[in-house]
Amino acid sequence: MKKHRLTGLWLFCFSVWSVGCCLISAAEEVGEDRQYFNEKEVPEDLRDLRNIQKALQETLPQARAATVSIDLGGGSGSGVIVSGKGLVLTAAHVSAGVGKEMTVIMEDGTKYKAVSLGLVASTDAAMVQIMEEGVFPYVELDRGDSASLGDWVYALGHSGGFEKERGVGVRIGRLVRMAEQTINSDCNLIGGDSGGPLFNMKGQLIGIHSRVGASLEQNMHVPLREFLKNWDAMLAKEFVGKGPFAQEAVAFLGVSTEDREEGGVVIKEVGDKTPAADAGLQEGDVILMLNGNELDGAEQFSASLKGFKPGQKVKLKILRDDKEQEVEVELGEK
Amino acid sequence: MIKSRKWKLSWVRSRGIPILLSLVVSAASAQQQVGQLEGEFRLNGKETWKAFDPVREVLQESSAVVYDGWKSIAYGVIVSSDGYLVTKASEIEGVEELSVRVNREHFKKVRVVSSTVEWDVALLKVEGQGLPVIKWAEPEPAHGTWVISNGSTTRRDRRLRVGIISANARKVGEGRAPVVLGVTLDTSGEEEGLPVKEVQKDSGASEAGLESGDVILEMEGRPVRSMEDLQELLGSKEPGDRIQVRLRRDGEGLDLEVELKRRESVFEERKTRNDAMSGRVSKRRSDFPRVLQTDLPLSVRSVGGPLLNLEGHCVGMNIARANRCETYAIPAKELRAIVDNLIGKEKAGSAAE
Repeated sequence: MKKHRLTGLWLFCFSVWSVGCCLISAAEEVGEDRQYFNEKEVPEDLRDLRNIQKALQETLPQARAATVSIDLGGGSGSGVIVSGKGLVLTAAHVSAGVGKEMTVIMEDGTKYKAVSLGLVASTDAAMVQIMEEGVFPYVELDRGDSASLGDWVYALGHSGGFEKERGVGVRIGRLVRMAEQTINSDCNLIGGDSGGPLFNMKGQLIGIHSRVGASLEQNMHVPLREFLKNWDAMLAKEFVGKGPFAQEAVAFLGVSTEDREEGGVVIKEVGDKTPAADAGLQEGDVILMLNGNELDGAEQFSASLKGFKPGQKVKLKILRDDKEQEVEVELGEK
Repeated sequence: MIKSRKWKLSWVRSRGIPILLSLVVSAASAQQQVGQLEGEFRLNGKETWKAFDPVREVLQESSAVVYDGWKSIAYGVIVSSDGYLVTKASEIEGVEELSVRVNREHFKKVRVVSSTVEWDVALLKVEGQGLPVIKWAEPEPAHGTWVISNGSTTRRDRRLRVGIISANARKVGEGRAPVVLGVTLDTSGEEEGLPVKEVQKDSGASEAGLESGDVILEMEGRPVRSMEDLQELLGSKEPGDRIQVRLRRDGEGLDLEVELKRRESVFEERKTRNDAMSGRVSKRRSDFPRVLQTDLPLSVRSVGGPLLNLEGHCVGMNIARANRCETYAIPAKELRAIVDNLIGKEKAGSAAE
């Protein structure tokens, strides 16, 4: 099999070659455990096909039980449970932030409250935690990073949103393109599958669905190694990396201010139902200090607010009716 | 550099916030390109298909190719050795130069015997003898079972597409009648009868002269007071049937005869974002009493043929390309009943003559 069709700039050839070698040697290390049909270029006869079918059907019930729909109110994606306590892996553009509330729906329609943990914005990896008590069905991870180009795989997901009568959809395919941060399969995906699991024929999780291209064979998944690499950070609710799959929430106070000659900034307007209003800030108040640092203009004030995260508390020293006072405000999310 | 359009895969309902709708235009860097599996080794590549060859042989022998002139427009399932076959009815509607090929034999005389709009199945008859009839599979295939169907064709050879059973067998659609008058109705009022809000262009209603503001009182002599009454009456009709409608217009009674047409030929479907990433889909792809779902990547012109398992037995008939990852098939059990019914009626009809 011609494994490597190299395209693109010549300059990158060396790095392409070296990454390719790593993958090949990794595959050799786990060679003994590999299913025999993955060692063949293509299945040779009906027996090989029946063995692929058998492997898929033996592992499918557990995979289906652990695959969930994630309902975000306005839209929905998919996810997969990876621990008995209800830890869910999904895509960053599904969870779309840290600490967000959502509903996880099992194939039988049971709903659980859940909240998003951390995510990797650059590669579309994310974690969600079910917040209710229970012993949840879960799948095993391919911790050995054994996935290799041409392997037979299957994809699950709640295409187009949860539909009880239909249940989870399963699609078969092969790994057709392998890159460091993305793997492609020819398992057909569509909207709603995002965040759903990609399995090898042992029923181990090897990736999470991310996006599709124009052709039916361009179905892209985040490789599991990207999750393993950022596991602790995601558990710790960190927002890792920058876009394009999620934008970090911007801290929000809820006032418009203007410069003041004597220093500080003057509040021109306090928005309704904003953190500023909740903290009792009023039009005409002068903000002199933010967490002990003097302010010297509206622009600088707004820039320093961007250094905080939603939910953080800041101390403002304000001047009202010629009296200085201190106000604590919990910043909101824009 | 490869530049391609990529869609994020969260599903957003039309009223949803369009944050997740964004089209991700991304340029895959050359650095990321590690290795690719050549097309012929992929799931539906010609090297992979070789293992399925015994099943392809069954398609070669006992699937039919349906043509409009020189163009193949659908496939068919051969259900009797003397030349009865079934195909997708809506794909052959209005075709003037209908012909059928079985294996390498070309039948230029094709009779459209009858059809059922409920299932969108038409019964055809060619003057053949000793045609290889499809063998029915039992029981119904489980999730993950390989399925094989017609993919494309040359004059000599049938080619295949392969996939698996993807989801629970079920009813699809909201149980609406597959034929329509071609009006939208105001169901909010207290009035006796159903006021017409709008009349669709090129519908039976517009051809019969219905106007917005008319109030439908009776159909076929039976009072219609609700959408349910209307749906029940239309549920048993076929396209082309003509129905007596009694109206009230400007306070006076009026009787019109309205031709019923296929829902999908009168009302345009609302396109979803998932449709946008699906390519062409079957015009009639919903409102079936029960379907199997597969991940077969069929084109709209490759439905109508048999869905086979690895034994080469027929588990169903492909009836619609629904979207990028869903193709529907009528399950063998229901298909056999449809075939028996259509052939039974035909035989009873000819016996009466």
